[in-house]
Amino acid sequence: MHIPDGFLSAPVTTATFVVAVTGVGLALKAESRDPQPMPAGMLGAVAAFLFAAQMINIPVAPGISGHLLGGALAAALLGPWRALIAMTVVLIIQSLLFQDGGVGALGANIIDMGIAGVAAGYAVPALIVRWTPSPRGFAAGAMLGGFVSTLAAATLTGCWLGLSGLYPTVGIVQVLVGTHSLIGVLEAVLTGAVLVTVLRWRPDLVRGRQQEPGMRHPGATLLGLLAAAIAVAAFVAPFASGLPDGLERAAETLGFAAREHPVMPAPFANYALPFGPSGRVATALAGTAGTLVVAAAAWFVSRGLRTHADDVHR
Amino acid sequence: MTYTGKRHGRLLAAGLLLVAAAALSPAGLRGDAIPAWAWLVWSASAAIGLAVSRQAGVPPQEALRRLAWLLPVVLMFAVPAAILAPAERRVLVACALVYRALSAAAAGASIAAWLGPSGLVRGARQLGAPARLADVIEATLASLAVVLRQAGNMLRAREARRTTFGAWSDMAVAPLDTTRGFGRLVAALLLRSLERAEALERARRARGWTS
Repeated sequence: MHIPDGFLSAPVTTATFVVAVTGVGLALKAESRDPQPMPAGMLGAVAAFLFAAQMINIPVAPGISGHLLGGALAAALLGPWRALIAMTVVLIIQSLLFQDGGVGALGANIIDMGIAGVAAGYAVPALIVRWTPSPRGFAAGAMLGGFVSTLAAATLTGCWLGLSGLYPTVGIVQVLVGTHSLIGVLEAVLTGAVLVTVLRWRPDLVRGRQQEPGMRHPGATLLGLLAAAIAVAAFVAPFASGLPDGLERAAETLGFAAREHPVMPAPFANYALPFGPSGRVATALAGTAGTLVVAAAAWFVSRGLRTHADDVHR
Repeated sequence: MTYTGKRHGRLLAAGLLLVAAAALSPAGLRGDAIPAWAWLVWSASAAIGLAVSRQAGVPPQEALRRLAWLLPVVLMFAVPAAILAPAERRVLVACALVYRALSAAAAGASIAAWLGPSGLVRGARQLGAPARLADVIEATLASLAVVLRQAGNMLRAREARRTTFGAWSDMAVAPLDTTRGFGRLVAALLLRSLERAEALERARRARGWTS
């Protein structure tokens, strides 16, 4: 996800730096007005933790491992402004001291993983907690936020690379969003796993959680949101353009499209099912299946959540 | 050896300018020609980077070895871009992209090695970076070594207690337990980091520090 040096054009570099500096400046200003100040040492400790958490790889398949990106988790733990500051510090240290992400691409990386990651990771659980003010709702929201933040970061990364003239914008965004859908599921599961544990052990540390007076039927709104997501996947996705994307067009123009062959079979290649119906129905089913997988994972992980308050009530 | 003077800000600014010059020199994308001066800028950036690294106590072969670690990531970005370039320019564009990325990285790595972590923060302060941001970077760097050591110890302990061993990963064999274990491990790391930071903060305040 980190863009190295040398792959962004001068206008994109300049624009992303301006946006990133503005965003971080606003975060610093908003954070300074917080009635409950957090010592720099504490915020630094959380940033160091986020850095270390990104280095803990979890095996996904033989020879393949993944790790937490942390934007959604940081937003859940610290709230949006401090999370953005912590993520910015992590990205600065990674680029300067470890060359993980370019110094020249720091603005783009801060927008992708910092601003977009934290914004999505904060907004989604905040939306869900408005209607389901329970730890489970919050954890499920943070998981969905982790998924959305990964896709948002992938989309923006593709945009920067496309606007820099490296690849066709539409093609690279599609490729990155497609591959990062799986990474987003992993991010969602890992965010949920960490958050559930912290909520059980030290719920006071989770600052992003804002409990509000609950509704009578808190699950109803969550189900409504899930239904809306499935509806989008089922009814809107099939009407996406069937024309070849930029990358395919370039491949056809250059004459290497015919040489395309997958390294390994994908379960839902081209968003279609390998069996059963084909065409728009298959695309709808594949989109629905993907949405349900994320929702089921969110529900399953949040089931493991039981706070001290729950224990007292029992 | 690390820089011991007082001009951290100027050195950091010079290093960042060198990185920017290398990273933003045209590399022949969109069908443009690669100007000769771009190759000069990249060569100068790489040469200065290696020289500064040597000044920082990192021999050239070690600096090159560190840059080689970046090669897979750089190739992942450069090769598809080169494939999409016109056929007669693919090799040239690929070479230019890789050279540009590595020369910029060499410049950035060398200035970081020469100034060192605390020198970078000092340089950022001298360049007028927000005090809060510089404070948090300094605190992060102070915590980083301890947290990484802690994470390493926890991973080693987890590995020692692992019962499964084989080609198939834990995630494939027991996804629920693996995920839960990861959650507990990382949550424990967070709590230990915060407890240590709280203890440090108490000690600072006891000694009269207020910020």
